[in-house]
Amino acid sequence: MRCLTTLLIFLSFTYGVELKIGSLMPKKELELIDTGGESINLNSVKGSEATLVIFSCNTCPWVIRWEDRYLEIAKNYIPKGVSMVAVNSNVSRFNGDDSLEKMKKHASRMKYNFIYAQDPNAELAYAFGATKTPHIYLFDKNDILVYRGAIDDNARDADKVTEPFLTNALDALLSKKKIKKTTSKALGCSIKL
Amino acid sequence: MKNIVLIFIFFIGFSCTNTTVLPATSSDIMNEINSFKGEKVVILNVWALWCVPCVEEFPMIVELNESNEDLEVIFVSADFEDELQQVKNFLEKQGVSPYSYIKKEKDELFIEGINKSWTGSLPFTVVFSKNKGIIVDSWEGKEPKSRFEVAIDIALNS
Repeated sequence: MRCLTTLLIFLSFTYGVELKIGSLMPKKELELIDTGGESINLNSVKGSEATLVIFSCNTCPWVIRWEDRYLEIAKNYIPKGVSMVAVNSNVSRFNGDDSLEKMKKHASRMKYNFIYAQDPNAELAYAFGATKTPHIYLFDKNDILVYRGAIDDNARDADKVTEPFLTNALDALLSKKKIKKTTSKALGCSIKL
Repeated sequence: MKNIVLIFIFFIGFSCTNTTVLPATSSDIMNEINSFKGEKVVILNVWALWCVPCVEEFPMIVELNESNEDLEVIFVSADFEDELQQVKNFLEKQGVSPYSYIKKEKDELFIEGINKSWTGSLPFTVVFSKNKGIIVDSWEGKEPKSRFEVAIDIALNS
């Protein structure tokens, strides 16, 4: 019984813990590969006011339902000094649906107006404690995590959103006000490590 | 919740082999789990049709349930309520009857109500002990049968 208990305790720690609010952005220099095949890292693409990291992928139905808001957020906030990077950490699908080639096609088809990059060994996902897609991490200009969680409270229909968690956080951050809700939760697809 | 379900089943008749999919809040689900305290180990599995790993591990969990009299598996679909017919079709094909559940609460309320350590990733599985009804293990993502079996063994004796 003691062995079984030990095994369970071990297993319970095999999952990452979500980065805590107030944490410094980890793995800033970690190499990511963007859809143009170029090597980038978070430090090289950080925004003057904020950096928004979205763990995402090509096929998750929840990503697809929220994707219209990716574009709106990029359109509205990149001009305000917010850098936006969607990161694909689905390592086990890099030879299939989440290959760099398919990411490139997906970004083109969906008219992505932000960086979309592969996390080659899912090191960024592990460091962030990201578990699902989409999973949002917003950092201020000093690379401190100020918001983590979901985009809003309605994946299915942007018109029926009652709490736009992420844009509320962005607006508060950019106007130097306190972010009222710093974390939120929503369902999503597990990252395929 | 358990009583409501039993009354419902009585009225629709035991001869009916269809699966009834009941919309449920996290509170309904937790009440259902608690109703088995002292009687059975309970496995809660939150899944969705669109979730490939959920669908992949589903038959294995059904098989565990069928082969263990001391185990009650409670499946909760996280699909949208307007996909209820597809959910029902899937459950019937998998042999889950006479009833199962579909989430009817906003994501954040549901996730927090089920387990505060859950980030929202699917599938999500929680194993509750037979006697005390406490959580002996929980995990996000697909896991092999061996992990379920180890957790069930512990849950049977705690």
